[in-house]
Amino acid sequence: MRVLWANIEEVFREAAARWTLVAYFFLSSLFIFIFASAVNLDVVDGALAGAKLFGREVQMGRSSVDLDKMVLGFESGFSAFLYLVGTFLAIFATAHLVPRLQEKGTIDLYLSRPIGRTFLLLSRYISGLLLAAANLVYLIGAIWLVVIWKTGVVHVRFPVGALIILFTIAVLLAFAFLVGVITSSTAVSIMTTYGLFFLSAILVNHERIEAAIASEWRARTIHWLYLIFPKTADMGQAVIALVSGGEAPARLSDSLTLAPFATTAAFGLGCLILASLLFQRKEF
Amino acid sequence: MTHAIEISNLRKVYSSAFGRRTITALDGIDIHVGAGEVFGLLGPNGAGKTTTVKILLGLTRATAGTASINGKRVSDPESRRQVGYLPEGHRFPGYLTARETLSIFGRMSGIDPATLKSRMFPLLERLGIAQWIDVKVKKFSKGMTQRLGLASALIHEPTVLLLDEPTDGVDPVGRREIRDLLREEAQKGRTILVNSHLLSEIELTCDRVAVLRHGKVAATGRIDELTRPSSYYKFAFTPMDESTLNALSAHGMSFERSNGHLLTSVRDLEQLNLLIDRLRESGASLSEVSPVRATLEDVFVDLVKAAGTGGDMETRP
Repeated sequence: MRVLWANIEEVFREAAARWTLVAYFFLSSLFIFIFASAVNLDVVDGALAGAKLFGREVQMGRSSVDLDKMVLGFESGFSAFLYLVGTFLAIFATAHLVPRLQEKGTIDLYLSRPIGRTFLLLSRYISGLLLAAANLVYLIGAIWLVVIWKTGVVHVRFPVGALIILFTIAVLLAFAFLVGVITSSTAVSIMTTYGLFFLSAILVNHERIEAAIASEWRARTIHWLYLIFPKTADMGQAVIALVSGGEAPARLSDSLTLAPFATTAAFGLGCLILASLLFQRKEF
Repeated sequence: MTHAIEISNLRKVYSSAFGRRTITALDGIDIHVGAGEVFGLLGPNGAGKTTTVKILLGLTRATAGTASINGKRVSDPESRRQVGYLPEGHRFPGYLTARETLSIFGRMSGIDPATLKSRMFPLLERLGIAQWIDVKVKKFSKGMTQRLGLASALIHEPTVLLLDEPTDGVDPVGRREIRDLLREEAQKGRTILVNSHLLSEIELTCDRVAVLRHGKVAATGRIDELTRPSSYYKFAFTPMDESTLNALSAHGMSFERSNGHLLTSVRDLEQLNLLIDRLRESGASLSEVSPVRATLEDVFVDLVKAAGTGGDMETRP
């Protein structure tokens, strides 16, 4: 436990020293501040009677808007935005953890301690995940509180949606760690992880792609790739479906089933196990 | 004798991808370092010194043979609980202060925060960098970083110290301080393995050495045994004039002059005494007669030059 805490402390101290993370927190804070000060709502009997955005009246039409629905719409849209941006920023901020660890003159300092290699790698993984979680909790938590402050509407589903985002980050970070162990390159880790994210997102349309492909083995390959790769598009839809509750369209709600989560988790676990095995066997 | 470090028939072969090319870095070496001993590992570049240390630390695996520290196989991470390591060209995170560095790496060695806190300042004070305890490592000079590296290797009070070029980048005064510190640590019973190409440092610090060459132990033994007196003797006498030297030449003695001394090689003690007699007969007044010891550098250079000639030295205690 002492070793784990030492690793977590080091990763957080490094994060504090890196300008990318400072910039991320600064931009997040700026966004939260602008959002909090720009939106002014006029709520009458639980309904939105009027709204001002950056001091200007927003045309509401004749009838008042259901505030709960409006907040739900905002939270759903914002969670989709956060899914993409949060995931990318988290990978950008943590993908260097393994390549930097493996640098000559650095790895000796860690492996000369009485720590098993798998434990060392997993400590870094947990540290990276905690860092990503801290960023996510800060942004989503602050926005959630601002929404409650401005509207008085409390949707617990909105912060819970962060768990799916964190789950996706955990899977992609496992892949980034695997690439990091193999290549010792931060740039390659980031690029391949982003590539995987988009490729997986495209594969959500695997049935249409398979139908369009004449070659049977190619179609089968696409099908297998869909099954193996993390379901990044499904996860994004699942976040929106979770935050929207019963208001989400059926095609989004279908993502909130066990199958995409289970196969995505299996991919992440597989990457982590493979990364550990390779790190265990690696010679420095 | 209990050995703190035991290396038996250790072999390491590096293979390229698909095993097309192989390089034998270690070819069956045996090294045994006793508890409380200061042992030097010498050798030219590519001799296998770094590979040996890497195997001891589990950074790389041996192809064959065994290595253990305090009786524990090096494949077991627990073997490193009692090891302090100073790597060559170490890179402590620049964003940490000396205090944070020792705290993080000390805890990774299993030390509780309270013990760390009590040890940190006295140790840095001993190494002469206590006033920099809260300064970020990126602002340290090379010598200061080296001292911090030593502090990191010592913070958990290990029984075995593995030091790779410990005085690298340190000024002459600092080198002496580090040598003194290593001597003090050895007196406390710590076993120290020093890997260095600075022969003078090794000569001043170590009890025993092993010289590696082409992955094999070319020589091993106590420094005073490896550098034992040769048949060369140094004479100082007055007057060291031409007539005295001619008198010696007349008796078939060859010699060379060096810095006001006369250097000559004698067969045995009888010939040495004969030479002294001749000098006294010629009216010379002797002020010094001393055997000439080979330096560790002489031994090292001879061994390296003897590569491939089968001229290995074995002076095992």
